[in-house]
Amino acid sequence: MAGEKGGKEAAAGSRFLALLKRNRALLIFFLFILVMPLWAENVYKTISLDFVFIMRLVGVYTIAAVGLNLLMGYAGQVSLGQGAFFGIGAYTSALLTLKAGFPVWVGIALAIAVSALFGILVAPVLRLKGHYLAMATLGLAIIVFVFLREMTWLTEGNFGLSGIPSLNLPFTSITGFDLPFIKDKAQRPELYLQFYLIWIIVFAALILCSNLVRSRVGRSMRALHQSEVAAEAMGVNVSAQKIKVFVLSAALGGLAGGIYANLQGYIDPNMFTITLSISVLTMVVIGGMESIWGAVAGAAVITFLPKMVEAIPKWVGDAPKWLERYSNYEGIVFGLILVLTMIFMPSGITKGLSDLVRLRRSPFVNPFRRKAVE
Amino acid sequence: MPLGSIVDFLGNCPQYIANGLANGCIYILVAMGFNIIFNSTGIINFAQGEFCMFGGLFAFTFGVTLGLPLPVAIILAILATAIIGALMERLMIYPLRNASVITAIIATVGASILFKALGRMFWPKEAYKVPEFSTGNITIPGVTVSRQFLWVLGLTVVSVLLVYLFFNRTRAGRAMRACSINRQAASLVGINVSRMSLYSFLLAATLGGIAGLINAPYASYSIGLFLGIKGFTAAVVGGLGNTFGAVTGGLVLGLLEELIPGFLTVVLGVSTGYKDAVAALLLVTVLLLRPQGLIGKGVVEKV
Repeated sequence: MAGEKGGKEAAAGSRFLALLKRNRALLIFFLFILVMPLWAENVYKTISLDFVFIMRLVGVYTIAAVGLNLLMGYAGQVSLGQGAFFGIGAYTSALLTLKAGFPVWVGIALAIAVSALFGILVAPVLRLKGHYLAMATLGLAIIVFVFLREMTWLTEGNFGLSGIPSLNLPFTSITGFDLPFIKDKAQRPELYLQFYLIWIIVFAALILCSNLVRSRVGRSMRALHQSEVAAEAMGVNVSAQKIKVFVLSAALGGLAGGIYANLQGYIDPNMFTITLSISVLTMVVIGGMESIWGAVAGAAVITFLPKMVEAIPKWVGDAPKWLERYSNYEGIVFGLILVLTMIFMPSGITKGLSDLVRLRRSPFVNPFRRKAVE
Repeated sequence: MPLGSIVDFLGNCPQYIANGLANGCIYILVAMGFNIIFNSTGIINFAQGEFCMFGGLFAFTFGVTLGLPLPVAIILAILATAIIGALMERLMIYPLRNASVITAIIATVGASILFKALGRMFWPKEAYKVPEFSTGNITIPGVTVSRQFLWVLGLTVVSVLLVYLFFNRTRAGRAMRACSINRQAASLVGINVSRMSLYSFLLAATLGGIAGLINAPYASYSIGLFLGIKGFTAAVVGGLGNTFGAVTGGLVLGLLEELIPGFLTVVLGVSTGYKDAVAALLLVTVLLLRPQGLIGKGVVEKV
């Protein structure tokens, strides 16, 4: 009896070790995030980049991007409406915590629920394909934006909502803690708590998604991406599967939005325009289609870029004048990333580069020389 | 719902219809651009609205900054927009001619973001006053329209007629129609499909440029998104790919967009800000209920 139990434990232990071995990269990344505030706080002033502050946002955008990647990268359904779900989540959580006095985490949980519900409500658009679906989701994003702006009795319109309660430890009133080993630096307790809370959620979401795509559901998603007719013939319920992944993607968008509202403390409708949808799309494109962990890279690049541009004058002293205002050329950066990536590495930058390393061949195909198949 | 306000609304109707016609003309031109490109390449060009943006902004540069006479400025603005369309086709659409739908969508969305950002970089103000073709108003009892309105109507009618003649009377136009029916068969009978794709972008950008011009008196880097979605709505209402369905679609959208918010504001006292959502709501509704358009025929999916 005892021996059998011991054997079971040993088996479980070795299985756990095997799991760790398989997910070495994940483990390293986890440790990196775990200790990041310790070194980041000590170099913050030297390089003028507030890593802890920015990485909270990276976490939020990662959640939204991984949701979109499930829908677009795996299931092949283009959505330009992820910003709308983000906005709905943000407003749900903000209104519930600010006006109805709900606890922050209840607000965020309901943000997920409301976004998912809205996803179910608009799921009929999934009957559309390709360009039509993209345009319809763009239309939905515009509708949501206009309603957020115009329903002033609820959302205060363009004035926005301010004073949204910030994240705390669930079921407590703890709103922050100090870190050890921080030298001659003012501690920022709320920031550390928010950072760790957000990244716990990010890891949970990423692990959930990476398990999902390796499951039966994930395989059927990829099957319907290749050919809906073939997938249907193999017994995949295409429309049900599409709706499921769409709602999951909406829920993740809502989760990201809910956290965002409680993180920023202030939201207005202009934060959730089509520009947000496009930046999430750019994150997915950078991270690579069909790549769960790529979403982190995409979110990091897009979030760090403006902050680095702001920091450049502090590094080199005198930066050219045009460089200073990132918002002036943000669109050029996004546009060039999207267009050039699609032409030269249609499966995304991270994936293209990893193919370069793995297959020892150029991921670049010269599209101007490609032979016409037609 | 007081009766008096309904009477007020009905009294305003002629004015709404006049405004709706003027906007509808712009949507017609944008929608035709969508249709022409869709027919010869199978791509929905998300940057179509940005062609209009360029039309207006170039008109400002040539007409006001450089002070050229208005007709010259207009022709130069249209030419410049057409060149941008052609460049876009050669540099982006041609390399992507065998790409998947997702790739094409993301690339044209990227182009639209890029164009908008370029517009914002070179013309940073929110609004530029583009010279009108002629100033002043005409008042018929109940309706006041600007003289510009007559130009808008006239130019739209002329453009639609010219496009009609191009597609029915010229060799290139008929070749493009062949492409829209079956690209592979068209290439087998000796039509240069890739050149037709170039022509379609030239033509669509030209129409977009004209739409941007008659969208005067104001031009701005930010008009592209809304003009794009409205033009696409008009195209879908008329049946996507049906070049002249765009005329119906544009007029329907233009009128609804004035009448619905007019009704909401005058009769129900709701904010006019909802006007921006009319096109998007119509788009989603039509796509869901009649994806082939109000006057289109059904399509069968090929396996």
